[in-house]
Amino acid sequence: MSFLHINNVHKRFGETHVLKGIDIAIEQGDFLVLVGPSGCGKSTLLNMIAGLDSISEGELLLDGRCINDVHPSRRDIAMVFQSYALYPSMTVAGNIGFGLEMRKVPRKQRREAIDRVAKLLQIENLLDRKPGQLSGGQRQRVAMGRALVRDPQLFLFDEPLSNLDAKLRVDMRTEIKQLHQRLGTTIVYVTHDQIEAMTLASRIAVMRGGELQQLGTPQAVYDDPNNLFVAGFMGSPSMNLVKARIVEQDGLPVAQVATEASTLTLPIVRDRDALRDWRDRDVILGLRPEAITDPASANHREGNIHEAELPVALVEPTGADLYVVTTLGGTHVNARMRPGTPLRPGERTRFAFDVSRMVVFDPESERRIRDERVAEATPIGETA
Amino acid sequence: MSAASFTARRGLATRAVLYAILVLFAVVYLMPLYVMLTTSFKTLEEIHQGNMLALPGEWTLDPWREAWGSACIGLECNGVHGYFFNSIKIVVPAVLISGLLGAFNGYVLTKWKFRGHKIVFGLMLFSCFIPFQIILLPMARVLGILHLANSTGGLVLVHIVYGIGFTTLFFRNFYASFPDELVRAAQLDGAGFFTIFFRILLPASVPIIVVTIIWQFTNVWNDFLFGVSFASGDSAPITVALNNLVNSSTGVKAYNVNMAAAMVAAVPTLIVYILAGKYFLRGLMSGSVKG
Ligand SMILES: Nc1ncnc2c1ncn2[C@@H]1O[C@H](COP(=O)(O)OP(=O)(O)OP(=O)(O)O)[C@@H](O)[C@H]1O
Ligand SMILES: [Mg+2]
Repeated sequence: MSFLHINNVHKRFGETHVLKGIDIAIEQGDFLVLVGPSGCGKSTLLNMIAGLDSISEGELLLDGRCINDVHPSRRDIAMVFQSYALYPSMTVAGNIGFGLEMRKVPRKQRREAIDRVAKLLQIENLLDRKPGQLSGGQRQRVAMGRALVRDPQLFLFDEPLSNLDAKLRVDMRTEIKQLHQRLGTTIVYVTHDQIEAMTLASRIAVMRGGELQQLGTPQAVYDDPNNLFVAGFMGSPSMNLVKARIVEQDGLPVAQVATEASTLTLPIVRDRDALRDWRDRDVILGLRPEAITDPASANHREGNIHEAELPVALVEPTGADLYVVTTLGGTHVNARMRPGTPLRPGERTRFAFDVSRMVVFDPESERRIRDERVAEATPIGETA
Repeated sequence: MSAASFTARRGLATRAVLYAILVLFAVVYLMPLYVMLTTSFKTLEEIHQGNMLALPGEWTLDPWREAWGSACIGLECNGVHGYFFNSIKIVVPAVLISGLLGAFNGYVLTKWKFRGHKIVFGLMLFSCFIPFQIILLPMARVLGILHLANSTGGLVLVHIVYGIGFTTLFFRNFYASFPDELVRAAQLDGAGFFTIFFRILLPASVPIIVVTIIWQFTNVWNDFLFGVSFASGDSAPITVALNNLVNSSTGVKAYNVNMAAAMVAAVPTLIVYILAGKYFLRGLMSGSVKG
């Protein structure tokens, strides 16, 4: 029995069908991150878990108990809102202690709990201030403190870091991660930020238009996407998606990609069985930028490197890496090379393709073409 | 002459004209107050000598004493003080209750939206546009049925009912920009309907509370029509008493006493404005500018 089970949950606002049957199950101590484009229903789902929005259809189980009709205050869930939602007329201590006060915790105990949390979040010196006198990062801590002080079964975070500047966001991200490791409480966390999702999550749920696209570990979602949407959504810079054709060579399927002058043939090592059926049909190849490198930085150990000489269209140094753009199948393709590689647009250079990381999609249904056995690794939220 | 000093001069000239106009308007507006105040400190003889704008030659407090304690209103000669306290007895509960109800309405209409909340608010808004005169007769009937005719209690009720439309409008617009997430957070914290209102929203409503108090206080205090229609005799408010004082003085008109009584009637609203005035504009603006 999983700890939080979202069982075929629907949400309708009048005529608009916002959530169309979400199935997610996570274990105690999991850090579930919900990602997806704006308006896909992440906040709605979070609010439904918190009990702030009603459930139109389906079932919500927390620790084996159906909480569909349990009042928000009785769910033992604490939430950190995107806007922090600090009570403006109360001091920081009042804000943090309000939930305890409502639960009739005696003053002395309350004081101790507030002090403990303030110490944890390093806001002891702010306890007598009003929220209006705090900086963004300090408010964010107070908002977390208000949730932490209650020691709930489940934390909900709705884009808690989105109002912070880049530097502070990175710091707070680390703090949240440490906090989760220390407390081990189950967390459901909404974010728009790729890196936040990848670094924090033990499981990622990718949503689009009220439907779950994929649920899995960050690595699985990144390396083994269910469909074109997930492939394109996760990762920055995003996965290269290239038109190709599957043909048979020596009894094995290979992918043929048009380059500017000729045709590039890439051997297929993943999902080979499924792709046998795709002989002489068009597909879309997915290759992460880090799976296309210069030959020297390629990972030759597994022997799945395929090299080809291609023209350079553009060079984009980022400091840590050098992104080299070439044209494949009519679109620009990003390759990640060692910085300092002396390259200029118009030159030709050797690209090394790590074909073991290549994924293939059906251009019609946009689903991943994959062998059967992979599918069972992520049974919930499977769209294929 | 350099261009800079030219524009500086022109700026100075514009400013001078501007101030001249402002001073003129201020004088025009303050003139009646000046005349009232000076007259109320003059003896009747001095008034009869004719120079309205002159300062009192001999300052006297007698008109004020008379107005407060012994001027004849109708048949009784006890001054306006009883009516002054009538007005206080009307205005305090009327302002507090209509304000509180308006705040509640605003809270429910924005944070606990129910089916048809827009219609309810529309109707409330509509009540702001109903002229006083239209409701006189029906209200008289209602007060009669409730046995509240000719009492300060009845007048309190009338002002509450008439004021709710305005107070609701004020609070609704104020709470519309109050973040819903605060209410949701409080719900998760375990606060109920009333706790959320009294602990979260109300303490954050000072500007709009001030606006409401000023608005309701001046309207209720200065009301004459409801007062004269629904409360007569001993339970009349000061505005009605003032009217009766001025009209019932037989023989020589005691202008100084009348002016003193008028000042007595005007002082509470002045005080409210001076104490709360600086919040007034801030509050009126707070709906449009997020703050
Ligand atoms: N009260 C409501 N009535 C009608 N539609 C609503 C309501 N609340 C949300 N929606 C719709 O539901 C959809 C999902 O909204 P939601 O706030 O959950 O999106 P989100 O994924 O959190 O987006 P974002 O990333 O921008 O925060 C949106 O299309 C929104 O317009
Ligand atoms: Mg959202």
